[in-house]
Amino acid sequence: MKTILNSVKNIEQIFGVLAKKIQRPDLIFITVEKKQVLSVLSHLRDIEEYTHLVMITAIDYLEQGKFQILYLLHNYKNNTDLGVKTFISREDAHMYSAHHLWGQVATYQRELHEMFGIDFPGSPRVNENFALEGWEGIPPMRRDFDTLRYSQETYNFRKGRATNDPKKYMKKNLHKE
Amino acid sequence: MSLKNFVAPFYVWKRAFEKPLTNTKPLETRPGAAAYRGFHVNDIEKCIGCGSCEEICQNMSIDLVPVDGIETKDGDSGLRPRIDYGRCCWCALCIDICPTGSLNMTNEYTWLEEGDGDVDDKFIFTPGVDKKNWNNLELGYKRPVDYEILEYSKIKMTIMETAERSDSFIEMVKGYSKEEAEREADRCVACGICVATCPANMDIPEYIKAIREDDLNEAVRLLYKTNPFSNSCGRICTHRCEDACVLEHRGESISIRWLKRYIMDNVSSEEIKSSLADEFTKNGKKIAIIGAGPGGLSAAYYLAKLGYSVTVFEAKEKAGGMLRYGIPEYRLPYDELDKDINYILSLGVKIEYNIRIGKDKDFDDLYKHFDSIFFSIGLSKPYSMRVEGETLPGVISGLKFLDDVTMGIDPKIGKSVAVVGGGNVAMDAARTSKRFGADVTVVYRRRLEDMPADLEEIVEAQEENVEFVVKAIPTKIVENKGKLYFSWNNAKMVEQKDGGRPKPVAIEGDITTRTFDTIISAIGQAGDFSFLPKEIEEKLKFKWGKVITDKSRQTADSKIFAGGDVVNATADAISAIEDGHKAAIGIDRALRKI
Amino acid sequence: MFDLDRKKYPKIDDGKANFELYSHKYLKLWHGPQHPGVTGNMALELTVSGDEIIDLKTHVGYLHRGFEKLMERRRFIQCFPIVCRICVPEPDTNEYLFSAAIEELAGIEIPEKAIWIRTLNLEMTRLASYLMWVGGQAGALGLGAVGQWAIAHRDYVLDLFEEMTGARVYHMYMVPGGVRGDFPQGFVHRLEAVLQKCEKLIKDAKIVMLNNSVLQDRLVGLGIITPEMIDKFGIVGPNARGSGAKRDVRKDNPYLKYNELDFEIVTETDGDGFARLKVRFREMSQSISLIRQIVSKMPKTGKFHVKTPNPLHWKIPVGETYLKAESTRGEYGFYVATDGSGFPRKVTVRGPSYTHAVSLLEYLGVGVNIADIAGLMGSLHTYPPEIER
Repeated sequence: MKTILNSVKNIEQIFGVLAKKIQRPDLIFITVEKKQVLSVLSHLRDIEEYTHLVMITAIDYLEQGKFQILYLLHNYKNNTDLGVKTFISREDAHMYSAHHLWGQVATYQRELHEMFGIDFPGSPRVNENFALEGWEGIPPMRRDFDTLRYSQETYNFRKGRATNDPKKYMKKNLHKE
Repeated sequence: MSLKNFVAPFYVWKRAFEKPLTNTKPLETRPGAAAYRGFHVNDIEKCIGCGSCEEICQNMSIDLVPVDGIETKDGDSGLRPRIDYGRCCWCALCIDICPTGSLNMTNEYTWLEEGDGDVDDKFIFTPGVDKKNWNNLELGYKRPVDYEILEYSKIKMTIMETAERSDSFIEMVKGYSKEEAEREADRCVACGICVATCPANMDIPEYIKAIREDDLNEAVRLLYKTNPFSNSCGRICTHRCEDACVLEHRGESISIRWLKRYIMDNVSSEEIKSSLADEFTKNGKKIAIIGAGPGGLSAAYYLAKLGYSVTVFEAKEKAGGMLRYGIPEYRLPYDELDKDINYILSLGVKIEYNIRIGKDKDFDDLYKHFDSIFFSIGLSKPYSMRVEGETLPGVISGLKFLDDVTMGIDPKIGKSVAVVGGGNVAMDAARTSKRFGADVTVVYRRRLEDMPADLEEIVEAQEENVEFVVKAIPTKIVENKGKLYFSWNNAKMVEQKDGGRPKPVAIEGDITTRTFDTIISAIGQAGDFSFLPKEIEEKLKFKWGKVITDKSRQTADSKIFAGGDVVNATADAISAIEDGHKAAIGIDRALRKI
Repeated sequence: MFDLDRKKYPKIDDGKANFELYSHKYLKLWHGPQHPGVTGNMALELTVSGDEIIDLKTHVGYLHRGFEKLMERRRFIQCFPIVCRICVPEPDTNEYLFSAAIEELAGIEIPEKAIWIRTLNLEMTRLASYLMWVGGQAGALGLGAVGQWAIAHRDYVLDLFEEMTGARVYHMYMVPGGVRGDFPQGFVHRLEAVLQKCEKLIKDAKIVMLNNSVLQDRLVGLGIITPEMIDKFGIVGPNARGSGAKRDVRKDNPYLKYNELDFEIVTETDGDGFARLKVRFREMSQSISLIRQIVSKMPKTGKFHVKTPNPLHWKIPVGETYLKAESTRGEYGFYVATDGSGFPRKVTVRGPSYTHAVSLLEYLGVGVNIADIAGLMGSLHTYPPEIER
């Protein structure tokens, strides 16, 4: 039986791996170059028996101007998870579409397009709304979208809400000045 | 399609004859489970309004609001949580974190409001204040036993073993390591209740936060905002802030003092200089300060920062006042005190040593040549015991004794020593005598719990085998062949009718006499104002031997400011520091006429 | 099952119908978001030709509360009242996965007793969730009475949860560091009483649902998932097991105490709605058996919580992890990334319905009779909130 370490080694040799993190014996994250992602995914799916796509998700590293995209794959033969990560520029956020590899990829890509503003050219229905029909403004999962400000601008707080900070309140009242 | 599959479903018709699964109408009221997370109750007497509930509430549903009948005082913000049930999700994190344990939940879960008006503000209420029908319910979610999300025990401070420290003047408290300090700092809930209790109003939560974030330079900046004697205070402060700590209610308070010491222990003098980066331009005005104790020097520090030329007149040969001459070296090593003083001196503050105003230099002289005068001369006149034989050789005052030890003069005490009094000076005298190899007995009028000394000083003295004789009123001292025969009248405590503290009353005829080589009297001290010229002394106002000042520490003479033990009632270092700071601001305002 | 002449319907190619909408031969229908046949708040945009669905689009967003985003501005302990809301009928899976992920990233080990209580909690929530599913599936196919019994029995389980955790639906019981309390005296007896009630219900419901020719007519052959489709669509849980896949996270990657419990992976081979029905009924009985095993093996005393750092300033070092558990719908996962601050950098929830209710349903729904679409959704056991966390 192939082990996860073998699979990672194969990826390292064939495609090159930028970074590797063994989180648990059954969970490893590898980082590959953006242009290699689709080949790595196909290789993992077809050769290394990582046949199950668990999910695709992104993280906004605003301070570094990058998005991290993570493809998490599972191998049912040896029951291990392998996360394939890549970083793309935040300025020109687009990624190669992997919709041809698994049936659910198009949905994930549609969601990432809506929530992060990452484009996946060629992905079916990628421009359709997913959960946010009628949304205006920046994609809400980006770090620069401030949920508190949004809710303060959009909704009303209940009347009569006001709070006091104990430290300041005591300073005001105890007159040690 | 088999016949069986057609007929089989009819089998369950039998359920039609069973008891229904639903409740019958009219609805039976069904009480929530014993630990149900229902509506809140708050014991407002126990609650101190620390705001931890508000801090942890992820829904922003808690506000802290003033409540009628609850006063803001030391250790109680006077605020109480008010909950918006439009936002609450009953996760009970507020109950889990509540450091006093006052906030709890009941198993009540129905609340109906009648009327067709605006219901917008109906479901906001202050538990424990607003009358609700669930206020007296017993059942409901309480933080389970064995489940705490805060740490209620202090990180233990390493202290020198008793045997090792009893004859040594080496500093006995070792200080926290980085890891220990960060863990201790982590316990803080940052409520800020302690800030009001600290006489100097130091921003305690913020410097503790700086420790957590390992930003000691920022911590130093925060400390020096209100206290230029942080290194000393980190060792000997009376830490009343710790009594106000919210964790004290169900556990042990944060070791705020040791954390302050940790900051100062881990920054060098150069780092203090670079992180404070004090810059100022001289404004040409001159200030005279009498007494180089914590009050005088902290005034000097803040005045120097405001651009004043400061000259400090000190009667002794070194600066530090009671920090140097009153507090023994094993509690505050002189090097550590010098670290504080040297930074103040580096700002250009001048100290003229061995100048006693009124003797070596006239007060009028200062009055004429300086724009303003601040005096913080401390209490140097020991109270008399008013017993026969008090003036015998071998009977000395605690202050003199500690003074001599500091200056390296042999205090000439014998093998057995009695210390009279129960304050910090008495404890220091007793423990210092112990370090000279004497057997020490502390004689105190009242009970152990009435002693004004810090609890830890009493405990440490006991650990060092100092004997305590309490409820003993000294009556006389007789000398015979070099031995002192010290008699006291044993007393009983009598409750006072007006609710004042119990008073010791002598039990007739119950007299104990023991012999000692030396008797140290440390029953308190008063200020010595003989340095003031007659007309000024008449002009200034006094009460109970203390100078009366206004909030900016200005005396009745607008040119004279005063602070420290001769002004405040608490007579400790941190209050003197605060007086110095306030006087500096007051002097600045007075001179700039704003 | 539709062995009709398909010539008048548009050609279906790889699950997609090829048609001209404006030819007036087709009708667009909204099924949901407020429709008794739709589980939860989601909508199906159906294009029908006659009573056959020729195109289906899933619309979500009616429940979007942005939990993943909200967690980015909440301290670690403040997240656990939120995560349970991601799945209403089965909140504990979320609580467990979030807590366990935080514990892994922060390097916290929880006491033995807490592990057992968590296992018990997860199995109880599986039972409650299946009971709710019986309600949905039976109701969608016209067996309203069975649905009502099942929902009533779920409430008995919720009574137990109320006693154990202090709340009925959103338990908020598992926190990083363990659980929030031990369960009360006599709980085990009341638990056993409820299990017996449930067993009786399962027996009756099986008779009504499995030995029912009407139901068989409607479910056999409905929404066939072939073994090839499993990996293509990322199908997990009973939906995959109904097609013969021997996959169960509890066995494949045992978590908590599942490797000390005795159970087998339940599979059926037909791959249609009826096979999935059988899988779920067998798993309900399995859950009851597991609950009994857990209760008998569990330590009676011990600590249930280990202290974590002060929750107000708790910072977790940079890291990322993925944890999963077997919910009633299959592999449920939490991906948590931390950046050394006091807040999670990113939490992504992998709900099994994400694939089942969107890409898979859009594929399976084509060609289904409009009356059966509710039954199909029921047989895929979808919960919308985990799609749009």
